[in-house]
Parts: sequence; structure tokens; C-alpha cells
Amino acid sequence: MRIRQSGDSLLQQLSQQLSGNADLAQKELGRGADGVHMLYLKSMSDSSIVSRYVITPFYEMKDILAYESYIENYPGTTVGKDEKTLLENVLKGFICLEFENGHIYLFEANKNESSPVSDGQTEVIVQGPSDAFTENLQVNINLIRHRYQSEHLKAELTVVGAKSRTRVAIMYDDVRVDKAILEELRVRLEGIKVDLIQGAGELDKHLSDTKHRLFPTVVVTERPDRAVFNLSEGKILLVVDTTGYVVILPSIFNDYLTAMDDKLQLPISGWFLKTIRYFGLIISTILPAIYVAFTSFNPEVWKVQIALLVAGSRASVPYPSYLEVFIMLVLMEFLTEASLRLPKSIGPTATTVGGLILGTAATEAGLVSNIMIIIVSAVAISNFVIPLNMMMYSIRVMKYFFIIFAAVFGLLGIVLGLVGVVMYLCSLRSFGKPYFKIFALDQWANRVQGGKENGQK
Amino acid sequence: MVKNKYFYYLFLITALISVINYVPRSLIDRRFDGAMMSILISIPIGTVLLILFTKLMSKFPQQGLPEILNGNLSGFVSRPLLVLYSTIWFVAGLITILAFVDITMRYISSDVPSYIVILGFLLIICFSMRMRTESILYGLEVLLVLNLPLIIYYLLKGIFNPYFSWDAVRQMVTYLWDIPHYSSVAKSTFVFTGYINLAIFNRVFENLKVRHVWLISLTALVTLLIAFLMPIGFSGVEGISKHVYPWFTTADSLRTKAFIIERVLFLFYFTYLTFSLVSAITSWHITLELLKGAFQSKQGKDQGKNTKKVVDWACIIIFSGITLLMDNLNQYTMYKVGQIFLDVRLIGEIMLLATIFLVFRKLKRGRST
Repeated sequence: MRIRQSGDSLLQQLSQQLSGNADLAQKELGRGADGVHMLYLKSMSDSSIVSRYVITPFYEMKDILAYESYIENYPGTTVGKDEKTLLENVLKGFICLEFENGHIYLFEANKNESSPVSDGQTEVIVQGPSDAFTENLQVNINLIRHRYQSEHLKAELTVVGAKSRTRVAIMYDDVRVDKAILEELRVRLEGIKVDLIQGAGELDKHLSDTKHRLFPTVVVTERPDRAVFNLSEGKILLVVDTTGYVVILPSIFNDYLTAMDDKLQLPISGWFLKTIRYFGLIISTILPAIYVAFTSFNPEVWKVQIALLVAGSRASVPYPSYLEVFIMLVLMEFLTEASLRLPKSIGPTATTVGGLILGTAATEAGLVSNIMIIIVSAVAISNFVIPLNMMMYSIRVMKYFFIIFAAVFGLLGIVLGLVGVVMYLCSLRSFGKPYFKIFALDQWANRVQGGKENGQK
Repeated sequence: MVKNKYFYYLFLITALISVINYVPRSLIDRRFDGAMMSILISIPIGTVLLILFTKLMSKFPQQGLPEILNGNLSGFVSRPLLVLYSTIWFVAGLITILAFVDITMRYISSDVPSYIVILGFLLIICFSMRMRTESILYGLEVLLVLNLPLIIYYLLKGIFNPYFSWDAVRQMVTYLWDIPHYSSVAKSTFVFTGYINLAIFNRVFENLKVRHVWLISLTALVTLLIAFLMPIGFSGVEGISKHVYPWFTTADSLRTKAFIIERVLFLFYFTYLTFSLVSAITSWHITLELLKGAFQSKQGKDQGKNTKKVVDWACIIIFSGITLLMDNLNQYTMYKVGQIFLDVRLIGEIMLLATIFLVFRKLKRGRST
């Protein structure tokens, strides 16, 4: 609360600073000693709230004091202290109300334009909940709290980005979380000095230790059930406003190959699904490289029949195998990108022309071998098996390294590449936690803890 | 900090890599000269050394050799010692790489120039050896566990092969009572020598306790017997002397109908390529860390980071240079170098043990007075 000084009032200063905005609204309610000055941004404030809870009560109340106490005690109202907080809150969509006695209040009337809670788009599962996070922070926190009704669930609010002022909620289970990681996260969030944060994945880039990585070290998800499951394992969620995604950290390699389906199915089917995914991962990374190595360097490794089959189908191909693989894979990447970006009505045309006609014609013209087409399709399909988008892109990039290695060293190159990738994965850390271990039993302690809380023996 | 199980992995990788590092061949060369007996003798020797070394290192929790020596001896003594000991690991890695490059040239990529193959090896090894010590252990675990089923497959495939001659094995056993030579004992003890990697890896063990030592001894005995007798079973007591890499010849005599690959050799090659890479990475990682310890100034931490980088890059250049130069050696010389290394190694290990023991005694005496 602040008493108006002689000269310019705080409100007048504010209106000067905001002058030139077409959506600035200034109103006078009443006259003289009973009057109230009002200032807000029409685009950011909800007009129905303004008329219903601010203007109508003014004319219904019997005197100005009753109205002031109504405004003061309305939930969400704060007292305007200085110019900076006033400006910040008006930009957020608060209404600034100045009474003739000099008291200034900020009335919460912000309008949030966001899509309603809808079905997930990027991580689809068969059974289980299908709702996804929205662009609204409050709704997202609601979705999480709804599924995790524990007094240990904490939500801290910070702001990232100098211009976007994106609100980020840090959510964690107070008992299960690793306190050291939480502290580290706070320090790193403080250290982010950027203008804009527009996506949850962007936060990953600024939070990790090394800039140039091949693999993501935090999971970005749109599924509340995945977020809550990770919460129960003692991980930390970053709910980023305006993005529609939630960041989960720290994460391990295995998290990227886990779909929420695995937990819902019977255990054996769940393990089977996961094994299938690991197979898909291996196939989509090294199958093209194996083709290059075995046709150009080591055909003797195969059984004779297979070696002859491949050689026969490659008889008309006029260039070395690695070029063949490169051409077809790059075409496939074009196809994937094109069908992703095209409007939905043209999308199928691209797939038909690209996939069916181009593939068949290229083989018939003798530019690529039949087996190559099979391999390219196998790689494309198995790449889509990976449930999380960021890892899918990493794997897409990684197979080219393997092709280069195979083109230079042959079979030896594939093994060199595999050892290199394993060592590289092992050298990665997600917030100080090892990223890739074969027996990742780090969550074991949390599971035991969970069992104890639920009364298991 | 890592769990105790990683100690067993360190042991296992060295035991398995002995196949590449000329151990079976050296034993086969002395098969009428007490090789069988030396295998038996090496088990108690190796076990005693292993127990002594782990006990000693557990007195210095979370310290590597550089910390132990630099912290308790004067720089004039500790630094030359560190450089001296680092050469043991360097040569171990070097021999693994060169032997495997030779095998690659012979069996897999005969049309690729050998320096390209070496560059490929060096690329991966030099990239990986600069990683953190824990990371190397994680990688070691992953690659060992992934390959273990394959190893069991080869062994079963070999033992139940109809062409495996048990008579040749029985004939070999009759030479059990020959008096062994020092060098064949030194070669047999190489199987145990994984424990020596604690010189650096002790830094990441929280509280190292080696349980089930009998299991280690048993594994070592079985490994040695299989490594020595399996090639003899396939090629005969006399015929085996003509082969340079007895194990690869043995693997090449196995055939499988189950995969799209027919010759077991290629699977075996795949397994051993990963093993030799990992083994070379661990050896050179230790060399690098020891050299860092030797050239680090004792005061000034900001300076330390810079010198670490300089040592890193200097080591990469020097290691690669030496490896490329050694590529010119022929097979016979390589084998001789490997043999000399295996002989010197045992003495070096005992010296290292003695050094640490002396430091420990000095420390204890300092405390009591």
C-alpha cells in the first residue's frame, strides 16, 4: 500500500510507460472522492471477469469503503507496491485499481488462451489414459496433482527467460527425491541467461553440461502418466508454461525405450515389447552399415547362398554400396520430413509417390538393389519403434556414423563404432547420474521405499 | 563410487584377453617343458599376489597409485617411479592392439592397409581413454556382459565338437610332472593380472572387499586350462606348433548352421575385437592417469587443469606415434616383444607391490611415533 505523492500518480506513470499500446484500457469509475481509476491490457485480461467482478460490484455496493474491502479480500488480489511490480503484473493481465485515497490494488483477471486438455499426439499408447499436457501451467499441475495425491509432492515456481518470462514449476516428491540433484538443478536454472524459452526441449539444451551431445539426457514428455510414474521413482519434473511438455530428469538410456504400455501389459508381454524395441534400435542403427561392410569388404562372412543372392541383386548397380545406401537413406529422410511437414491432405500423396513408385522404379532401373529397398524400409520402420521423439532423432543421425565407419573399415568399423558408442553413452551423465548402465538398478531404493509406504513386506 | 562387482570385471577382462596377448602360444611353445605344471603353480602365486595387492590397496581407500606415491614420497622418487610403472600398462595395451591388428589383417580385412586399421583402433581408444574412470568401468561391464553368452556358446560348441580330440588332451596331461621354467610361470600368472588395474581404479571403489577369492582362482585355472588345451584338442599335440594364433585357428575350425554366418571365427573375432579394445582402453587409461600424476604440480589447482590437457594430448600423440612405428615390426619380432613383456611383467608387479608396501610401512611407522 502506498500513499499517493503530489504530482504524478503511480498510475499515470504506468500509463505513460504503456502508451502506444492499442489494447491499453483506462477507465474512471465514479466521480470525485468515490472514484476509482482502472488500468489494464484488454488483450491480457478477461473482459467478462472485468465487467462481472470489478465494474458491476462497484455500482452495486453502497459506498466506496465496502468496495475497497471487497477488492482487497478478493482471492488473488495483491497490493501494488512499486512501479516495477505494477508493470510486470499489468503485462501478465492483472487489473490495476487506484482508489482516491491512494491505495493501489492488483486484481487478478488474466486470460489464458490455451488449447483444452486433448489426446496425446506424439506418444500414443493403446490402453491407458490418453490425455496430454496443455500449454497452461495450472492445468498441467492439476493433471499431475490429480494423479499423485501425496503431501510429499512439492511444486516450486521459478521464472526463466529475460523476455519470455516463462514460468517453470519444479515438482518432486519430497521424500524420494535426491536432494543433491535438486540443489544442482536450482543452481543451473538460475544460470540460464537467455531471452526466450519456447519449448521444453530447449531447456534441456541449457541445463546439460555439454553442448554438443548426440543423445538427449532429459526426457521430454507430453504424457501425465509418464510424468507421475517418474515422480514416484524420485525424479524431478519441470513443468514449463506455454510449451505443453514436461521435462523429466535425471534420466537414463532405458527411459527412452520405455513406453507406458509396458507397465499396463502383463509382465511377459511388457518385457517382450521392450526387447522388440531394443532390437529395433539395433537394426535401425547398424543394418545399413552391415550391408555396406558385407557387400564391399567381407562378403566371405556370409553363407555362400546369401553372398551370391546379394551379389546377384547388386549386379546392375553401377556404384559402390555405400553410395547406394546413402542415396536411398537420404531419400527416405526426405520422405519422412516431407510427410511430416506437408498439410494432411497432401501427405499421403508424398508417401505413395515416394515410397511405392520411386522404390519400385529405382530397382527396375537398376540404380539400387532389391535388398537395399528392403533394408531401407526395415530401417525406417524400426526407427519408429522408439517411443520418444528426441531419441528417435538421435538414432536417425547415428546410423550415418556407422555407415561412414563401415565404408572406411568394413566389418571392423562396425565393431569399432559399437564400442565407441557404448563408451560414449557410458561417459554421459544426466545431472551427475550415470546415463547408461546395463544393470540400472538405481531406482531400487525408491521401489523399496514405495513398497514400505504401501505396507508391503 | 562403484560397487565391488567391478573388480571381478577387471579380473575377467584380463583373463579373457590373455588369449590375444600370446599367453596360450607361449605355453604351447613350452608344452613339453613344464607348461602344465606352470599352470598349476601359477594359481597359488597369482592368488597370493591378488590377495596381498587388494589388501594393501584397501589400506588406501579411494586413492590411486599417483596419490599414494606423490603424497608419501618426495617428488624425485615418486615421479620417475610413476613413469616407470606407467610403461608396463602402456606396453600391455600396445601389444594387445598390435596383435589384434595383425589378426585383423590376417583374417578379416586383408585388403585394407594396416595403418588404416591401426588408425581406426587408435581413434576409438584415444577417444575413450580420456573418459572418467567410472565411465570406463561401466563400459567394460556392458561389453563383457553382452559378450559372455557368446563365449559360453563357443566353449560348448568347441567341447562337444566331434573333431575335438580328447586323446590329444590326455597325452598333454602326461607331461604334468615336468619341471616348469620361470617364463612359463610368468606367462600363466598373466591371467590373474587384472587386479593390478586397481592402481588407478582403486580411486572409485568406495570400500573394496574382495570376497570369494576361490572363485577367482577357479576361473583363472579353468581359463588357463581351456586356453591351453582346447587348441591342442583341435590341432593335435604336434600340429599346434605351426599356428601363430592358436585360438583363432581353433575358432576357424568350428562351423555353425544356426546363423546367416557360417564360420564361428567371425563371431569369435567380433567378441575378441570388443575385448581387446576395452582392454586397451583400460590399460591406456591407467597409463594416462599415472603420467598425469607424474607431471602434475603439487600445488595450484588451476594450473593442474591445464597441465592435464597438455598431458592428455601429448600422450595421444606419443602413444599413436609409437603404435604406428611399431606397425613395421614383423610377426616374429612382435611375438618376441610380447614374450619379453610377459616375463618382465611379473617382476614389475612384484616391485609395484613392494613399493606400495614400503610406503604403507613408512606411513604406519610415522603414525606410531
